[in-house]
Amino acid sequence: MPSGCVADMGAAPAAVEPSAQPRRPSGLRRILVYQTLLVTALFGLWELLVRTNTLPVYLYGQPSGILAKAHLLLTEGDLLTHVGATAFASVVGFLLGTTLGSAVGLLMWLSKTAALVLRPVIVAINGVPKIALAPLIVVWVGVGLGAKVAIAASLTFIVALISVYQGTQEVDDDLVKLMRSLGAKPLTIWTKVIVPGATPWILSTMRLNIGFAMIGAVVGEYISSKMGLGYLIYNAGALYDLNTVFVGIFCLMALALVLDAVLGRIEARFKW
Amino acid sequence: MVTAPVLEAKQVTMAFDAGTAREVVAFRDVSFSLKQGEILAIVGPSGCGKSTLFNVIAGLLRPTSGSVSVEGALVDGARGHIGYMLQKDLLLPWRSVLHNVTLGLEVRGSRPDEARERALSLIRRYGLGGFESARPRALSGGMRQRVAFMRTLALDPKAILLDEPFSALDFQTRLILQGDVKRIIREQRKAAILVTHDIGEAIAMSDRVLVLSQRPGTVKAIHDIELCGDTDPGALRRSPAFNAYFDTIWRQLDGHAQAAA
Repeated sequence: MPSGCVADMGAAPAAVEPSAQPRRPSGLRRILVYQTLLVTALFGLWELLVRTNTLPVYLYGQPSGILAKAHLLLTEGDLLTHVGATAFASVVGFLLGTTLGSAVGLLMWLSKTAALVLRPVIVAINGVPKIALAPLIVVWVGVGLGAKVAIAASLTFIVALISVYQGTQEVDDDLVKLMRSLGAKPLTIWTKVIVPGATPWILSTMRLNIGFAMIGAVVGEYISSKMGLGYLIYNAGALYDLNTVFVGIFCLMALALVLDAVLGRIEARFKW
Repeated sequence: MVTAPVLEAKQVTMAFDAGTAREVVAFRDVSFSLKQGEILAIVGPSGCGKSTLFNVIAGLLRPTSGSVSVEGALVDGARGHIGYMLQKDLLLPWRSVLHNVTLGLEVRGSRPDEARERALSLIRRYGLGGFESARPRALSGGMRQRVAFMRTLALDPKAILLDEPFSALDFQTRLILQGDVKRIIREQRKAAILVTHDIGEAIAMSDRVLVLSQRPGTVKAIHDIELCGDTDPGALRRSPAFNAYFDTIWRQLDGHAQAAA
């Protein structure tokens, strides 16, 4: 027996864990306060720098000007229509791409051969910036809503396919062996173990993909649209109307936060 | 009472690359037979081919010579006669306790209401009542192993293979579960084989302990375990008979460990 054994056991008393954990509501409120302070400080600094002419307003815009512009666009312009158009294209593209991509990713588990054959194709497609495909898409589906949705869908499809297929490979191999020992056929294993086992990957892909879908939609609007926040931003930029550009950007941020929160809710429901 | 053996191994030998220069014999001439309600423990030094033997008994590997049969039918390839309880519980985390227990029945195509009824009666009878709709995440390690055992029992196998099913559990839970699993196997009239490193566990749970020698594994001894009906795990382990068995088996394993070192 090693001589150090007994001494070691005595020399390592379990540390007493501090039990004073921050209470959740007050902790959350504290974070919220800090967040508000941070944002206010940033905007305040920005406003100050512009007012003191340290930053030229025609290059950087101005928070008070952005607010006024937002108000104007809301009351007399069609800001909400633009927001709605981008949100609609993002969500439809997201749903199409994520659903199809996840389905293909899941189905690829059923055929090792198909997965191996498709692998280089998928890697190649994934390597191409999808924005480079935009002109092709416009030629195929025309300008407007179709192009936006198609770009958003193509971006999200490949992300969903790759990560959901990865998810099927991460399912504990012993669970698959257990199912085989129970006499299960591959399709039964797929429905009872692989699909539910890969669900967390589908859900985390959704969080990622809503961002990609918005990129796709906005790029579509840059290229060929008379609607949406991408169109608003692109047009205003061309006219050096930076306050409007910022209105568009902040609307995109707000939209991203809302969509992410919705998906967060959905994800939480599926936790086991 | 005379009953036919449920599980029988006759002169089972397993060699890899048999007949070539690289031939490795995992074990040789292993024979035993088990009746309903009997438990046989297999102990041996590491590397004695225990897990290979397990796979042969399970019908997952075909022996080089000899045969393993369940109620007279060879096990190889035939599924469903044998159930397993392994170190990992392998519960599906997204399914409730009830639906984990019905898993095998679903795969076999049982009617859902019958599967449910059978699972519920097992769950309630063996100490999991009230946890039917709990998720595995909410259960302790011991309870999870209980659920895994119920899943095995639900299929009503003739024989059950236990492969170190308690080794991941804390000591107290392990003793309790050993006692319960032993009782249930008797009650349900199953034949069971327990593969374990733990000599105490082998003695406490089984009717016979088979000691394998260092590779190539051969049957070094089979001990009939007769303890005077003591069911309390603590008292059992303090009894002189228990200690005598422990000592004998320990020596039989130890001699080989020293030879290998």
